[in-house]
Amino acid sequence: MSDAKVNPPSQPPSGERRREAPDVVYSVLAVATLLALWVVASRPGMFRPGYVPTPESLGTTFLELLRDGYQGQPLRQHIQISLFRTLTGFLLGVLVGVPVGLLTGYSRRAGAMISPIMAFIRPIPPIAFIPMTVLYFGLGEVGKIVLIFFVSFNYVQANAQAGAANFPIAYRRAAQSIGLTKAQTFFRIILPGALPQIFTGLKVALALSWAVVVAAELVGAQSGLGFMISDAALLFRLPVVFIGIVLIGAIGLVLNLTLNFAEAKIVHWKGR
Amino acid sequence: MTGAAAAVRREAVAGSPKISFAGVEKTYATRGGANGGTLALDRFDLDIAPAEVLSIVGPTGCGKSTALNILAGFEPPSSGGVRVDGRVVTAPGPDRGVVFQQAALFPWLTALDNVVLGVKCRGEARELYEPKALRLLEEVGLKGFERHYPYQLSGGMQQRVQIARALVNEPDILLMDEPFGALDYQTRLLMQKLLLRLWEHFRPTILFVTHDVGEAIFISDRVIAMTRRPGRVKCELRVTSPKPRDYDFLSSTEFKALERELVLAVQSEVDDYA
Ligand SMILES: Nc1ncnc2c1ncn2[C@@H]1O[C@H](COP(=O)(O)OP(=O)(O)OP(=O)(O)O)[C@@H](O)[C@H]1O
Ligand SMILES: [Mg+2]
Repeated sequence: MSDAKVNPPSQPPSGERRREAPDVVYSVLAVATLLALWVVASRPGMFRPGYVPTPESLGTTFLELLRDGYQGQPLRQHIQISLFRTLTGFLLGVLVGVPVGLLTGYSRRAGAMISPIMAFIRPIPPIAFIPMTVLYFGLGEVGKIVLIFFVSFNYVQANAQAGAANFPIAYRRAAQSIGLTKAQTFFRIILPGALPQIFTGLKVALALSWAVVVAAELVGAQSGLGFMISDAALLFRLPVVFIGIVLIGAIGLVLNLTLNFAEAKIVHWKGR
Repeated sequence: MTGAAAAVRREAVAGSPKISFAGVEKTYATRGGANGGTLALDRFDLDIAPAEVLSIVGPTGCGKSTALNILAGFEPPSSGGVRVDGRVVTAPGPDRGVVFQQAALFPWLTALDNVVLGVKCRGEARELYEPKALRLLEEVGLKGFERHYPYQLSGGMQQRVQIARALVNEPDILLMDEPFGALDYQTRLLMQKLLLRLWEHFRPTILFVTHDVGEAIFISDRVIAMTRRPGRVKCELRVTSPKPRDYDFLSSTEFKALERELVLAVQSEVDDYA
């Protein structure tokens, strides 16, 4: 075979290759450094005793949580209830926010009606509404779901509206000239055309829904991951607090990756 | 006027134009409504015969797209009117197929779905429209690319899909606004020949807007040059060589003479301006 003669440049000189370490090496190095710092910081005598839990204590506490649960409820149940509140509120917000946003983006009059109201409401931090929902709906599930619905609706509606409004005029004209009715244009052109922007809204809305659920559980709940970390902090069970935070982060990451995956499948034409 | 009366009138006038612009004026409102807006077209008159291929050339901003958009029904004229078969144009419709300059295919639909969307939404049966669409895609040279999405197609292929999408409605009229403007020279020549072949087959009336004087001569029965804005017909040239034409027409004496005349006509509008 004359491969070596035909393709000499595909084998770079070894010196050059050694300089090109893959990115994953840097990622692993950074994480390892952080873990090493933690091990050092958790050594006795570094900080006040108990303030920085050791890796071992986190491991044993995690096994305990899996076996015994927290405050009489299995760990799985705390996770489930937080996810239930988030996803119910989020999905309700999507179901209402997407149609309303498309309509207010499509129809100038509808947009004129809703835009000033939303422009005022949107900058208010959602956690500012927590006391109000407790007052109106008590500490049960309804108040939390209403709060998350509100958060989700805000961002989904805004992005669906932008997607329907900032629409290439060529699409609208092409739709008219092939004879689509208004309704057909709305469902077959405006909706799919706004999907990339809608997904941007979904990602913000879901991340924020998750964050606000945790915040709502900190102050008024008897279950959920937010309840678990605030309750454990009061009882000075720091390993539980740390594990709760790691779980909240990991679940937030999974939610985000799920949406990214769905986006890549559904909006396959985005950015091309 | 009732539809029946219009039909009678159409029968009566033998050789009446397919398309007729009569005293069309168009003023675009400027942002904020200052200084009365932009006058894009000023008493624009033009008749186009059935199955005629007519190209419009002219300096940038002279109102070529404006004229085409009024005929398509996308923009209303400020005064005057456009008639198709004697009826005043008020809205877009599938009787006037439009090919846009770029990126007017729906990116979430395959080439085939882009082509059939209109007929499908009108409730035509799939057994009817799908074979027709597949045949059209083959005719524009896209056999094997029916299930490709627009982003998987080259610029020239996307324009072929647009042409098929317009033709599937069997329009009497084809409106094309710089449809090949973004393509390279070789592809453009290829598309011009394709257009002539399709014209032979379907015999639509074609209104073609371009900056490319050679392209206009190659495909047209008649070319009009417009004045600079506000646009009006400055002069018109007839191309007598019979269609379809081949590349050797590009080096004929007729082509060269027409090309020189048109270039001068357009360029004088630009030069005066400077
Ligand atoms: N939607 C609009 N709003 C305001 N002014 C417009 C609008 N469309 C076009 N014009 C103005 O009308 C004039 C004619 O525009 P038009 O697009 O018809 O020109 P054109 O001949 O197609 O130019 P080009 O060759 O560059 O495409 C221009 O001066 C332009 O600025
Ligand atoms: Mg133009």
